[in-house]
Amino acid sequence: MHLTDEQLNEYLDNASTERLLLEAHLASCDECTARLSALQALFTALDSLPEVALSTDLAARFIPRPSPVPRLPRWLIPTAALQGALALLALIVTAPLLANRMPPIETPPLTETLLQLQARGLTLLEAFTSFQIPALPQLPSLEISSLVLSITLAGASLLWLVGNGLLLRKPLK
Amino acid sequence: MPLLIRCSATFPAARLYYTVAMNAPTDRDLILRARRGEADAYGELVTRHQTGVFNVCYRILHNRSNAEDLAQETFLRAYDRLHTFDLERDFRPWLRRVAANLCLNYLESNRPAAALDDERDEDRTQSPSEQVEVRERSEQIRAALASLPPHYRLVVELRHYQDLSYDEIASELKIPLSDVKSHLFRARKLLAEKLHAPD
Repeated sequence: MHLTDEQLNEYLDNASTERLLLEAHLASCDECTARLSALQALFTALDSLPEVALSTDLAARFIPRPSPVPRLPRWLIPTAALQGALALLALIVTAPLLANRMPPIETPPLTETLLQLQARGLTLLEAFTSFQIPALPQLPSLEISSLVLSITLAGASLLWLVGNGLLLRKPLK
Repeated sequence: MPLLIRCSATFPAARLYYTVAMNAPTDRDLILRARRGEADAYGELVTRHQTGVFNVCYRILHNRSNAEDLAQETFLRAYDRLHTFDLERDFRPWLRRVAANLCLNYLESNRPAAALDDERDEDRTQSPSEQVEVRERSEQIRAALASLPPHYRLVVELRHYQDLSYDEIASELKIPLSDVKSHLFRARKLLAEKLHAPD
């Protein structure tokens, strides 16, 4: 009596519970040994199948591409330059008006300045020794025309806001 | 590995390879990072396993284009299920079983059978005549596998190429143990007939 196909398959799959019994039979049966060899040859053939290389990289889909460095649109640079030029022009136009409205700044000679500093130092020392707080100097009153000042400030603010709004806009994709 | 360590003491290149291999993150590390949303980590997993997964699909489908599509689908499916993967298990066999099941579903769907590839396997380490012989023999085996019914193909794949036991195959395919054996033994019989039949 010969071994069944199931017994031979289980033997080669290392799943047989009667291994010693089968080996004893195989040792004395040429026909079953030949069938086992044929089945073993099939196992070897299946094992010999080489792996095939992929033609595409499947990982590319899963790896995020680095986002491109944001570039400023071309029109932004001349716009920023124009904004700077207009702001400078506004400053040139308004500077004489502001200068007329502001009190002139006198520049005394060096010796007079030093004497004044010495006098102030002495005054300060005297104030410390007498524990008296010196009176605050009175601020000069500014007499600038409110209309001129408002127009100037409004113009400068408008230029500033429009310019910064353009600069802070998200770059176009 | 002992051979590699001995070589690494002599050859700087081998030492560098050994250092890199030792510092490479494990699959488990990459899975944990991928679960945290690091796409690069999952991309690295795909890079590591894509050839193996593709070959599972190619052995079952015997069509390169479909095999690549199913391999891609395998990685998408695995990514969706990554949070349920048991980190104590090995990632590679799990991934290959996902691929095998997807291929079975594909074959069982009512899609028209795709044309089989006439691509030949190559091994550039052999002489031209040996390469021709290997290509022809590999093609015979692939054609024989492709001629099997889908369930037979899958059982052969799981037993011979993924080394699962009968019980594991039954559990994986949710079929009785007796069906696993009958599918496998019949498949082997058919394969032997195909491969030993005269041309």
